[in-house]
Formats: sequence, structure tokens, C-alpha cells
Amino acid sequence: MKRHLRPGLAAIIMFACILGNRTLEADPVLHVLVQLPLLGVCGALLAPRREWCWAQGGFAPLLAALFGIAFWMLPRSIDGAVTFPVMTAAKFLSVPLIGMLLAIGWRQAHALLRGFLKAQTVSMAGFMAFLFTHSPVRLCNNYLIDDQWRLGFGFLFLAIGLAMVWTIPLLFNARPRASPRTRAEPMTHVQSGVPA
Amino acid sequence: MMDNNSAQRLPGPQAGAVKFTMLLAGVVLLLMMVFGFVMRAAQGDLLDLDPAMFYQLLTAHGAGMVGTAGLTGAAILWYFMGRYVPLARGVFWAFLGLFLLGVVLILGAIFIGGYAGAWTFLFPLPANSGGVWGADAAAAFLLGYVAIGVAFLLLYLEVGRKLIAAYGGIGGALAWPLVMGKGTVEDAPPPAVVAAMATTIFNTIGTVVGAAVLASSLVNLYFPEFKVDALLAKNMIYFFGHVFINASIYMAVIAVYEIIPEYTGTPWKTSRVFAGAWSLVLLFVMAVYPHHLLQDTVMPAWSLAMGQIVSYLSGIPLLAVTAFSLIVYLRKANAMRWDLASALLVLGVAGWSVGSVPAIIDGMISVNKVMHNTQWVPGHFHIYLILGEVAMAFGFMMWLIGKPEHKAIGGFNWAVFSAYVLGGAGFTLMFLISGALSVPRRWAVHAPEWVLQSQIATGFALLVILGAAMFVLRYLLGLKHSAGR
Repeated sequence: MKRHLRPGLAAIIMFACILGNRTLEADPVLHVLVQLPLLGVCGALLAPRREWCWAQGGFAPLLAALFGIAFWMLPRSIDGAVTFPVMTAAKFLSVPLIGMLLAIGWRQAHALLRGFLKAQTVSMAGFMAFLFTHSPVRLCNNYLIDDQWRLGFGFLFLAIGLAMVWTIPLLFNARPRASPRTRAEPMTHVQSGVPA
Repeated sequence: MMDNNSAQRLPGPQAGAVKFTMLLAGVVLLLMMVFGFVMRAAQGDLLDLDPAMFYQLLTAHGAGMVGTAGLTGAAILWYFMGRYVPLARGVFWAFLGLFLLGVVLILGAIFIGGYAGAWTFLFPLPANSGGVWGADAAAAFLLGYVAIGVAFLLLYLEVGRKLIAAYGGIGGALAWPLVMGKGTVEDAPPPAVVAAMATTIFNTIGTVVGAAVLASSLVNLYFPEFKVDALLAKNMIYFFGHVFINASIYMAVIAVYEIIPEYTGTPWKTSRVFAGAWSLVLLFVMAVYPHHLLQDTVMPAWSLAMGQIVSYLSGIPLLAVTAFSLIVYLRKANAMRWDLASALLVLGVAGWSVGSVPAIIDGMISVNKVMHNTQWVPGHFHIYLILGEVAMAFGFMMWLIGKPEHKAIGGFNWAVFSAYVLGGAGFTLMFLISGALSVPRRWAVHAPEWVLQSQIATGFALLVILGAAMFVLRYLLGLKHSAGR
């Protein structure tokens, strides 16, 4: 995407989330799985595209973002965002910031850390699916038990979808190529002196 | 993909870390064997053992053997993949650190907290101890598994991403172009890479499923109102357990693919049948697990039938490809020098193959109805382990210590090897005979009619321990010797 379009798109998303807040937060699936990720995308679009010293390796921004995500994974936080204006304001301020930190950290993260985060995302979505579908009580005052179950299944589909999106390209990338047979240590015959 | 220049710049296998890991593993294997010996001696009335302690030892023995088999398999996979792709060395240390953290938690849970719910942590047993252990002990045990699971996922993440990058995707590393007739044997990845890629995939899936049921069980411990469906939990646990223990053997066989060619002088190449067989293994290992649930009559009938049918089928890639191709390969070899390492590695494949036979028999629904809770089952998996995976691990250790061990097997080495094979065969045969006589498994106290079998098995167990102790001692001396060189 062209760089100058990013702030505009972020503004559109932010306005849409603010204007449609009542509608989006009325349904937990739309609230948690649509509005929150959109706010995160909004922050990611505004993230400065430069390398930061403090963000070297991506650890600091990603860790901060993970704590933020952990907070918004709590059913109580989601409930608060519906009930209390202060929490609503905190949502609109903190979630874009989380998205921005994720974007900054992701850019500077090692491929191994990225893979770890992808695996963590899938497993956490699966865990949230378990939590919302197996809880014997309503976890949010604002949502009915049926809504909670729908959210749980939403998380389950998210986990399956993300797992497929991230693994299928790896599967079908197969092309016949010459094999890197050359090794660091040339293959030797056994030290016992087996004739070559 | 790497070109030849970059391949030549490979840092090579992480030998020091792997040698240290194998030393730890060898000592733990020995300790677990002693636990097994004590349990068989207690069943044979040769030793007075409190039943509560028996079940603690049973739990430690099961978790310890499965975990250590996984550890040795992972070390073998990591060592040999280091020949083909540049692996991040810190990952192996992180793997080992997390693994040891898991071990500490598990041992603490068992011997301090009194947890004795078996390595299978079958839901909701961890939370229903009847006062034998507390929730904290069960939580420590489950968290120990979580730490080990994270360790394996980290290792597979590094191995998987490097293989995918180097060989053009998962399909490339599994030699699918060759299977589909689009590639040549010369272009195909080496057998070790095919095996490593397949194992990485199915054990990652198995570990993730295990982590999910572990997390559910942990929540259930402290918030009993949160209950996962018990049948679903059992399916998830056995899927994880079956896949994990099989993965340990499939990782260890990489040592056979890589080391035996050094003895024969003939490279072991990936053929079309070989590559196809490994893709089938990838599917079968995951599809066959319902054969552990044949006594759960509430399971869908189709899944139980699938468990039985896939049990038959999964023997084909193993017996017809790995074992048969090893025999053909050895016959074709120009020369074959038998030393302790090569003998143990070939024994590993033989034991693995033989162990699959009682497994397939028990995988038949009509047999399973009467045999599943008997000692027939430990009979089959002890063949897999003592004469299969563990033999391969000891073979790898003997190979690792280098020249001193690469002399023709004979004299003392031959006696040690024979003691190990004889002890292993006798010990496992006593399990099978006891199973055929309907002696139940997992019982701390045995009826007088079953005591003789346990006593004979105890004698054979002693032979196995003697053999294993000599292997570990030789390895230790070999390490010292090689450090001196």
C-alpha cells in the first residue's frame, strides 16, 4: 500500500469504529473479533516505518503489545469497555497503540520470534475458544451465554483460519530444486577404515 | 534455497550441546530403568514397596522414558539437520533449558507433591486424586509437560523454517516432486531431511493438541466448574501421546539414515517409494491413534474401524520401507564393519519392526477387547523402546564418541551388547507372555499366580540395566578420551 494512503485509511477505520461503536459492541463477536482487530490495524497503519534502537530485535514493543493484548483478552475488560466510558476511551486509545507496537516490533523481529508469535496467536485463540464455550457461567454481564458461545466458536474458527492461512502456503511451495547436499563436514567413511 | 557456497559455510552440527544432552539422557534412561526394575521386583514379591510409591515410580518411569526418548530423538534430529541447514544454536540451549525445567517440575510433582496419576494425565484424574495428591502437585506435573511442549515447539519451529526455506517448502523437504514424478533421485532431499520434515509436522500438531488439553486440565484443577468433555480430552491426550512417542522413534531413525552409510560406503538416497512412504507415515501416525480407544464403546464406530485398519496399514511404510530397505541396503553394501554403534543402530530398526507386530495384533478390536488392559501392551511398547528407540540412541552415543568405539565388535563389547539384547528380549517377552495369560498391567500388587513371571522379568531387567550402564559408562569415558584428544 502506498505510504501516503495509510493515515487516511487509518482515519477511516477509526471513524468507522467510533461511529459504529454501539452496533459493534452490541455483539461480542463483532466487538472482540472485528472492532478490536480493526483498531489494532489502525495503529499499525500509523506506525513509523523506521528502525528504532529501543525496539531492536522487536522484543520491547512486542512484549508491551502482548501485555496489552493480554489485558484485552480478559472478559472483564471487554465488559468494562461496554459499561464504563473511561474503559471505552481506554480501548480507543490503547488498542491502536498495541497495533502500532506490534507493527514496530514485527518489522524488527527475528523470523524465529515471528514464528513463535504466530504459534502463540493460534494457541491463544484456541484457548479463548475453550474458555468461552466451556464456561458454566456468563463471563460478561453485558452478553448472554449464547453470545458467549458464539464468541467461543468465533475464536475457534479464527484459530483454524489463521493456522491454515499460515501453513498452506508452506505446503504448496514445493518445486523440484537441486538439493543442498553439500554439508559442513564432508561425508566420511567410518573411522574404522571401511574401504570407500 | 542455499547454493553450494552457502552450504559449505554451514556451521555444522552442534556437537558439544548434543553430546552433553545425550549424556544427560543416558543417565536418566538408566535411572528410569532402575525404577522399572524396582517395580517388576515389587510385583515379583522380591521387594517390599508401598503401593503409593509404586504408582509414583510408575508415573516417573512413564513420563521419564517418554520424555527422554523424545529428548534423544530431538538431539539426533538437531545434530544431523545441522549438516544440511544453519540452525540457530541458541534454540537448542533454550530447548534444553525448558526441557530441564519441565523435568524438575515433574520430579517435584511426583516425589515432593505425591502426584501418581500416570504419564497419561487422563482427564479428570489429575483433579480427582482422592486425597493422594493436591492440586498444586498435579499443576506442577502439567506445567512440567507444558514447559517440555514449548521446548519441542521451539525446536521444531527452527528446524521447520530452515528446512522449508532450504528445500522449497514443506513439499520440497518431503520430496513430493520426486513422488509425483517431477524430480529425480539426485535432486531429492536426503532421507534424514525427509524424516525430519515429516516428524516436525506431525509432532508439532501432536504437541499443540497436547498443550490444548494440558491447558484445559490446568484450568479444571483450580476451577472445577470448567470441564472439558472427558471423551474429547481422552482423544486429545492419546493423539498427543501416540504421536509424541512415535515421533521419538521417527527422529531417532535419522541416526540410522546418516550413520549406516558411513559404515557401508554407499550413500542412502531418497527413492520415490521411500519419499511416498514417509508422506504416508505423516498421515498414518496421526490417523491411527483411535486404536488406543478401542474399549471406549461411546466412540464413533467409524473411528474405531479406522484405528484398526490404519494399524494394519501403518506397518507397511515401517516394515516394507525402513526395515526392508535397510536389509536390502546392507546386502548391497560393499563392506560392512560391525561395531557397537552400527550393531545398536541396526538392532534399533529390528526392535522397532518386531515391536510393531504385537502392536498391530493389539490394534484388532476383537483382540483388544481382552488384551488391552493386560501386560501385552507394555510388552509391545517396551520392545519399541528398549530394543528400538533406546538402542538407536545408544548407537548414536557410541558413534558420537568417535574412534575408540569404531573397532569390530567382540570380546567385552560383544558381551555387553548380547546382555542388552538378551535382557531386552527376555524382559519384553515376559510382558507378552504375562499379557497372553491375562495378567493385568499397572497393578502394584500381583496375585501369587503372576509372581513367577515378574520374578523372571526382574532378572532380565537386571541384564538390560547392566548393558545400559556399560553403554553409558563407555560413553562417559569416550567423551573424556575425546576431550583429551
